[in-house]
Amino acid sequence: MSAIKSDKMRGGPIFRFLVSVRLTIITLSLIAGASIVGSLVRQGASEEEYLSLYSERAYHFIRLFGLDDAYHSSWFYLLMGVFAINLFLCTLQRLRRLMAPRERQAPDLSGFVSAGSGFATDPVNREEVVRRLGPSYRRERVSETTELFEKGRFSRYGAIVVHASVLLILAGGLIGNISGFKAYLALKPGDEASAAMPRKPGQSAVVLGFTVKCTDFRVSFYPSGQPKEYASDIEILDEKRNILKRGRIRVNEPFSYKGVYFYQSSYGRSNVYTFKADGRTFELGEEQVARGVRVPFMVVRYEQDVHNFGPGVMVAYMDADEPKTLWFLSNVEKMRSHTVNGSKVSLENISGQFHTGLEVSRDPGVPVVLCGFTLMLAGLYINFFTAHRRIYLALGPDTLIVAGTTSRNKEGFAEDMRKIGGGLA
Amino acid sequence: MITDHTLLGLATIMYLGLVFFHILYFVWQKEKLLSAVQHILYAAAAVQAAGILMRWAISYRLGIGHAPLSNYYESLIFFSWSISVFMICMRKRRLYPAITFVAAGISLMLMAYASLSPGVERGIQPLIPALQSNWLHIHVITCFLGYAAFAVSFICGVLYFFRPGGIVPTRENLEDINYRSIIIGFSMLTSGILTGAVWAHFAWGSCWSWDPKETWSLITWIIYALVLHLRFTGGLKGKRIAILSVVGFASVIMTYFGVNFFLAGLHSYAT
Repeated sequence: MSAIKSDKMRGGPIFRFLVSVRLTIITLSLIAGASIVGSLVRQGASEEEYLSLYSERAYHFIRLFGLDDAYHSSWFYLLMGVFAINLFLCTLQRLRRLMAPRERQAPDLSGFVSAGSGFATDPVNREEVVRRLGPSYRRERVSETTELFEKGRFSRYGAIVVHASVLLILAGGLIGNISGFKAYLALKPGDEASAAMPRKPGQSAVVLGFTVKCTDFRVSFYPSGQPKEYASDIEILDEKRNILKRGRIRVNEPFSYKGVYFYQSSYGRSNVYTFKADGRTFELGEEQVARGVRVPFMVVRYEQDVHNFGPGVMVAYMDADEPKTLWFLSNVEKMRSHTVNGSKVSLENISGQFHTGLEVSRDPGVPVVLCGFTLMLAGLYINFFTAHRRIYLALGPDTLIVAGTTSRNKEGFAEDMRKIGGGLA
Repeated sequence: MITDHTLLGLATIMYLGLVFFHILYFVWQKEKLLSAVQHILYAAAAVQAAGILMRWAISYRLGIGHAPLSNYYESLIFFSWSISVFMICMRKRRLYPAITFVAAGISLMLMAYASLSPGVERGIQPLIPALQSNWLHIHVITCFLGYAAFAVSFICGVLYFFRPGGIVPTRENLEDINYRSIIIGFSMLTSGILTGAVWAHFAWGSCWSWDPKETWSLITWIIYALVLHLRFTGGLKGKRIAILSVVGFASVIMTYFGVNFFLAGLHSYAT
């Protein structure tokens, strides 16, 4: 990414701007700024939620700039695109510069000596200096009298590796965005589905190409009431109902079939309420209306514990043209039945059933991203914790000058040079 | 009976002693006091480590065994300990009393806040399913070692604005320590973000979901990446780097504390 000013720049002013570190700094700052805005403005909420949080003018502003989904807005993608191009060009340029043939000439060694990273000694000590340098240095003859001992040349590639890894991660993200999907499934034991529900409203359901059947779902709790573990058993079926694969999905342990991953992301509880009305029995789910009675009714609310009287449901019905509600408490004799417009309605039973919430996704970019992660860590190590060291041994008429440079940790290098020269002056 | 709270309370008192002995050293400048300061630092870190291990052991006795890295209280203690470990790992000749003094002060504040604030739940809680993963350890450890390194960078940045001489190290030394802290912090933060992303991939089905914690860790990462680039390719030095290290640490504070208090998200168990 370095744009050394003395280096001859190719291309016009636009190209020069595109490879400049200045552009990198501008785009990175803008990305950071956009991220701050995105973290402060509520993301992906509904219009009502925004209007309850912000004024109408602020909401128009938010919509105008796509701040309600900042990280997926076109200007954010544009910013990322510019950053990627800049990084790509910088990396190429740096690579080209590193690959270019190097000067073989030894630099000004007496300067190194006076700077403390070298020493002069008697030529007879040459063998001893070479022995002390150890086998880790690569030897190369630079001229008749000068030899170069070099180590850690790969260290110069560290920054390139890190930059390439950032590009790889961005590319992986892009692949996932283009050819992957994210969806959701809520299944009760026994339920099956061949399409997953989209995460965002307005998108169409994702056809999986096979059927997922939830055969079992279990959840266990700590005494405090917090969930301890939950897991779903699922089967993958083809259209002839052959079982293609079966397995268990736990939190942190996804299940995959043909590149589609299933994650145990949540669970929920849905109740079935048994009522008796006009001598008939009704089994009602949430928001389901009991019809065929004099007064149709439905359950609008469930409470685990109503004023310490145990579980209860709020039932809504129409009295003439007026909506009315009534509480039924399953553990209180008097509250278990009510007379609604002359007909007796009683709550017989509340039975709960858990359903599993599965995140379903396909992301072909993940292997690329993971490669990028590994590369980034390797690159950071190479760049920050290894050094390119060059030590020259220049034989003069009556002195041997041992001096060199390092790309990193000058202090440690000077210390090592003192050790190598120890007692040889 | 000795519990984790006893040991961690003792460590807090030792940090108080550490701050006190620093002040004594600044007043009298006796070499013996400096050596006492170092020994108290080692002892405090050791007692704190014993407290953390004790808490780990007790969690197993309660039948909900997990490493003490899972809630806000435990993270505060680990953060405080990480700063001391960073001090201990620093080369002796870079261990300036001015730096260890501020570091001890930060460790003390973190411990005092963790053990005294009514808003901090101090009990050992069972792990919710999403946290039951081996990625927890590596993710939390790398993140907090990174935060600790950035705290040291922040200390160097602040000390830069004091007149060198006396107890304040020279500006060259401060810049050198600052730079070393930033590269360690940056490498650790990167490792923390990447291990977190891999974990998120397994637990939530997505490497990156722009959760506020993730977003702010990225912002922090970008700030330090900018600092490194400005220093290497822009040749930026001195006061500006010092200011940027303070800004960077403000972002670390936002990532660690601010997000929990101001922004709701997937990382809500850390509050």
